Amino acid sequence: MASFLQPSFWIFVLAVAGIYVIFALGLQLQYGVGGIMNFGQVGMMALSAYTMAILVITHGWNLYFACFMGVVVAAFGGVFLGLMTLRLSGDYFAIVSIAFSEIIRYVVNNSDGLTGGAQGSLAIPSPKGYSAGYTVTFDKLIRRMSADLQPIFGSWANRNFCMMLITWASAIILMVLVARLEKSSWGRVLRASREDDNVPSSLGKNVFKFRLQSLILGSILGGIAGIYWAMQYSIVTPDDFQTTITFFAWMVIILGGATAVRGVPVGAIVFSFLYAGTRFFNFPPFTWFSSVDRAYMRVIIIGVVLIILMLKRPQGVFGKREEMNLGQ
Amino acid sequence: MSEFVQFLFNGLVTGSILAIAAVGISLVYGVLKIVNFAGGDFMTYAAFIAVFLSVSHHWPLAIAGAVAIGATIILGLGFEWVLLKRLRKSKAGTLALFLTAFGFSLALRQIILMIFGSQARQFNIDQVKTYGFLGALIPRDQLIVLICASLTIVALGLLMSKTNIGKDMRAYSDNPSLASVSGINVNRIVIAVWVINGVVSALAGIFQGVVQGSFTSNMGWSLLLPIFAAVVLGTIGDVYGALLGGMTLGLVMELSQLPIFFGGVPSSYKPVIAFAALAIVLVMRPEGLLGVKARHI
Repeated sequence: MASFLQPSFWIFVLAVAGIYVIFALGLQLQYGVGGIMNFGQVGMMALSAYTMAILVITHGWNLYFACFMGVVVAAFGGVFLGLMTLRLSGDYFAIVSIAFSEIIRYVVNNSDGLTGGAQGSLAIPSPKGYSAGYTVTFDKLIRRMSADLQPIFGSWANRNFCMMLITWASAIILMVLVARLEKSSWGRVLRASREDDNVPSSLGKNVFKFRLQSLILGSILGGIAGIYWAMQYSIVTPDDFQTTITFFAWMVIILGGATAVRGVPVGAIVFSFLYAGTRFFNFPPFTWFSSVDRAYMRVIIIGVVLIILMLKRPQGVFGKREEMNLGQ
Repeated sequence: MSEFVQFLFNGLVTGSILAIAAVGISLVYGVLKIVNFAGGDFMTYAAFIAVFLSVSHHWPLAIAGAVAIGATIILGLGFEWVLLKRLRKSKAGTLALFLTAFGFSLALRQIILMIFGSQARQFNIDQVKTYGFLGALIPRDQLIVLICASLTIVALGLLMSKTNIGKDMRAYSDNPSLASVSGINVNRIVIAVWVINGVVSALAGIFQGVVQGSFTSNMGWSLLLPIFAAVVLGTIGDVYGALLGGMTLGLVMELSQLPIFFGGVPSSYKPVIAFAALAIVLVMRPEGLLGVKARHI
């Protein structure tokens, strides 16, 4: 129970929530505006995180160039997925996009010589013979930041605290940019195409192009989230990029209401506290089960909440029913 | 030659299991328009019940399998009556159905883990005995699976083409409103779909468990990707297409390991092969192998 009251744990949860905001923002742009049901978002995260890690560890790149390249590769992942599948109808697209992200995970898991295989980034081959990881530069930055913040926040200013500031600052900037984009004429065309392809097409708009662009932008956001994810956890493994993560992000945008950017941070915070909070269910009836079983129950609770949400408020807790009845 | 026969046999086994499992997913989609993410976990659920009864309680495998089939049918009907019926009544869209199925699959997988634990399970069968055939080694248990699976496929084909309920189901998935005004009892079809889905998922799960040797609670979930690929390959909602797609993918996945293909693709890349095959077909024929009309653009 003690750790339940520890603020440092909740700061960690908030830092991860910030990453979820960026990650889910991509889905919000694709689905909430474009009506594209992308279930392969976690694949973009894997692409950018692994590209960055390999470039830094094996090829000794500067961290910031490597991060940039990681996001570029994620964007190309979006191009590839879009060109291959965007002409398919919703259900097909959803299934193939899941397959896309799972394939990335399989390849990462099995290409030991490149990605370190199942052992993750620790086993990425390095010319030095040992892996120093990819976080050296970033850790220096965090240490400096933490030292600068000590006078203001005192002992609070640890790594997670700095991480929280960085992820939420990035998340807010990206949210403002995405919100502006969605209000622009570009966003209006995309929104119109969600309701009916034929209307924007009859006005001479190339709907496919708009959808592809939104898929690429969403993939870039997923790529950025992947970089932060890699920094937050210091190592990446193929298991970090399971399809379940994509569904967590879907839960974030459903909780917050898919149609508005401002719903994303609300959804991310509610989800993260729900997911982390279930760790502390150490009162009956949960104490009737062993701690291993309780770990499974956390996931069951997430599944059940998702189902109840779909039954009771499919437009999301803060969404408007009139604007969008989820995929209708 | 012996190598080819070996991989061909493996391909037939994998393909027939994929085909049976794909029928369940495709049928549920065709009639209910829900992508059943829990399909893989239905398989795991059945395999665990069968293993529990036959190994821990020493029931004959046939009876344990029959009980597992019954339990899977009940699970499907429960899913339908408790969740899906309400969702349809509230006019939920594709995404709501999608996420509900995912939530259900997530919960079901963890419940299986909680009840049966995380250790790998094994059926109590002879896994050593093999027959030689044209230089290939044919394990007896896999041969039995192949025979049972082939019989299941024939039975499914007859069910869909000859019986009234089969024809009704195909008519309804082609055109629900026309089927309804023609006097087809929709409730009966929905129940039939979940019964058939229960039977095929349970059989596919038990077969896969036997072929795999030992399995954990992730068995069905990790098989879901090739199954989905098979469903999409054969045009989603089309039962015959699902059978064809499953067999095709099974053969492609296993035969890709032959040395003539880039020196043989490593077996860990089998799901990648399934997806690559799907991607090629989708680019060339977006409507799937058997589909006739172009999909919505």
